[in-house]
Amino acid sequence: MRRIALALGVLAAIVYPIPLQLQGYTYYQTVGFLVLITAMLGLGWNVIGGWAGQFDFGPQVFFAVGAYVAALLFVRRGVDAWLGMLAAVAVAMALCAVLTYPLTGLRGHYFAIATVAIWMIAQPIGATWEFIGGSQGLFIPVKPHAGVVSTALSLQFTGPMKALGYYYSALVLFAVTLALMAWVERSKLGYYFRAVRDDQEAAEGIGIDSRRYKVVARSVTAAVFAAAGVLYAFWALSVFPEQVLELNWGTLPIMATVVGGIGRLWGPVLGAVILIPISQIMSTTLGTGPLAGRGIDLIVYGIIIILIAAFRPTGLLSLPWGRWLR
Amino acid sequence: MTELAQAIVNGLQMGFLYALVAVGLTIIWGLMEMINFAHGEFLMLGMFGAWWLSVAVGVDPLLAIVPLGILMYGFGTLVYRLLMRRVQGGDPFTQIFATIGLLFLLQNTVVAGFTSDYRFVGDSVLTRLSGIKLQLLGITFGAPLLAAAGLALLLFLALYLLIERTEFGLALQATSEDREAARLVGIRPQRMFAVAWGVGAALVAIAGAILVNFFAVYPQVGLQFTVLAYAIVALGGFGSILGTLFAALVVGVIQSVTVVYLPPAFKDAFVFASYLLIGLFRPQGLFGRF
Repeated sequence: MRRIALALGVLAAIVYPIPLQLQGYTYYQTVGFLVLITAMLGLGWNVIGGWAGQFDFGPQVFFAVGAYVAALLFVRRGVDAWLGMLAAVAVAMALCAVLTYPLTGLRGHYFAIATVAIWMIAQPIGATWEFIGGSQGLFIPVKPHAGVVSTALSLQFTGPMKALGYYYSALVLFAVTLALMAWVERSKLGYYFRAVRDDQEAAEGIGIDSRRYKVVARSVTAAVFAAAGVLYAFWALSVFPEQVLELNWGTLPIMATVVGGIGRLWGPVLGAVILIPISQIMSTTLGTGPLAGRGIDLIVYGIIIILIAAFRPTGLLSLPWGRWLR
Repeated sequence: MTELAQAIVNGLQMGFLYALVAVGLTIIWGLMEMINFAHGEFLMLGMFGAWWLSVAVGVDPLLAIVPLGILMYGFGTLVYRLLMRRVQGGDPFTQIFATIGLLFLLQNTVVAGFTSDYRFVGDSVLTRLSGIKLQLLGITFGAPLLAAAGLALLLFLALYLLIERTEFGLALQATSEDREAARLVGIRPQRMFAVAWGVGAALVAIAGAILVNFFAVYPQVGLQFTVLAYAIVALGGFGSILGTLFAALVVGVIQSVTVVYLPPAFKDAFVFASYLLIGLFRPQGLFGRF
């Protein structure tokens, strides 16, 4: 049953854009791209938030770090995006480890506020640091590439193929992230994370260094956010502080994770598949009417989160689906 | 030198306003140990209410304090009774989610109603005072801020007496310390929590009605004050009312002194840097009891 569902899901994710592309539509590929990015970020946040049980309210800092590192390497040194992504992930993980270690002594909402504090400090730095372009940020020029392979390797899709190219790039990154998380969940590391979450004293009693594993967990989260940041930067063709340091890069994945099921591998995926299309459907139905751009989709998100928190805080995946579907 | 002294004086005056913003959170978070990430949205509602009453009805923001305080008291108790009571017993994460949902709901309902434009109260008692300045030892005191700071201090002291010196305040503290024991001596904990949420919401809305004389109002104005309030409450030591006042003054001074030497964008960065530093070396805050 599960295998069939998984196979169908994989098939749908690979095939659905093709007929649309052939008919000249690109809109739904972009929706798919946003769903995949959010799902990927949610998978990343699930490590620190779901498994290690630390409320990280500032993962968007590492989304920005990733975007900036790859963009700088590309603009100043001509390093291609995928190579830049490796560097971005490495820098984000190292920076995250250095920043997070001192915070791991704080618990619960103290930790949450500390992660917000780091984000608040990052914003003026991003806006005033001339080396990374200040508040103007960096503009990513499109370099023409001949052939599909070299375009894909440079992560610079243009023209009618743009939406499709980024969709499949996001699908690849998402699949890698999902596979990595499936491995982490069943590895010793995953058990350490959950041990620290469930009972920190007991975990320390059996020799698990809780501070170390909180740092490791958040660094894994940072790695995923950085990789997604690189993809987003090359899609948007620019990086500037107000865009990549926006709070929603943190809150949307968190909401997706909570809606789907926090601490469950497929939770963030389900959440992203539900939440992102809601926002897209609303912006198309509201069109240019009086309520367009008035945050109606975010009102709906707010209500969904409130209902989940009040009635099913463990998320939709925790509902007894097996019993219902039989 | 005068510039620095002036900055410190300005910071202290802002600090009194911040104290009023933060003290509602001291009650909800510090005393009753519940999380509210929508605290700034309560402030935003207070600011919008005061702005609307001023522009559409012609009520001065200082007078609007009374109806807004009463309304937001009701709103706060409602939020507790309908939502927070449900999530209180479970995982603390659930409280975070619930109030983040509330944040999105409130913020964007106001966006839907009023758009994200910045709005200002053009004419009020406090803005009309803006020509008047007092000079003392070469330091200038603008009348509007001075009056607002004085008002904030008065309200703050009234709250302090309410919490520390009345039977109601003692009941609130008893509930925060031991819910079961409080129940045994005839205090209804659910009621105390509802009142705490009501008082917290009312206080921050009143702070909003005062702040609206100095800051632009827009739906997203809340978050910066939420995090500022969290930093202040944590710095002051959870649940310590006077600690909150002192921490708010420190935060106000840090902000205004930072602006003397660095671009204004860094105004909050140093507040949070000091929060991080103090959090690392003195997690119980400057005045924490435990």
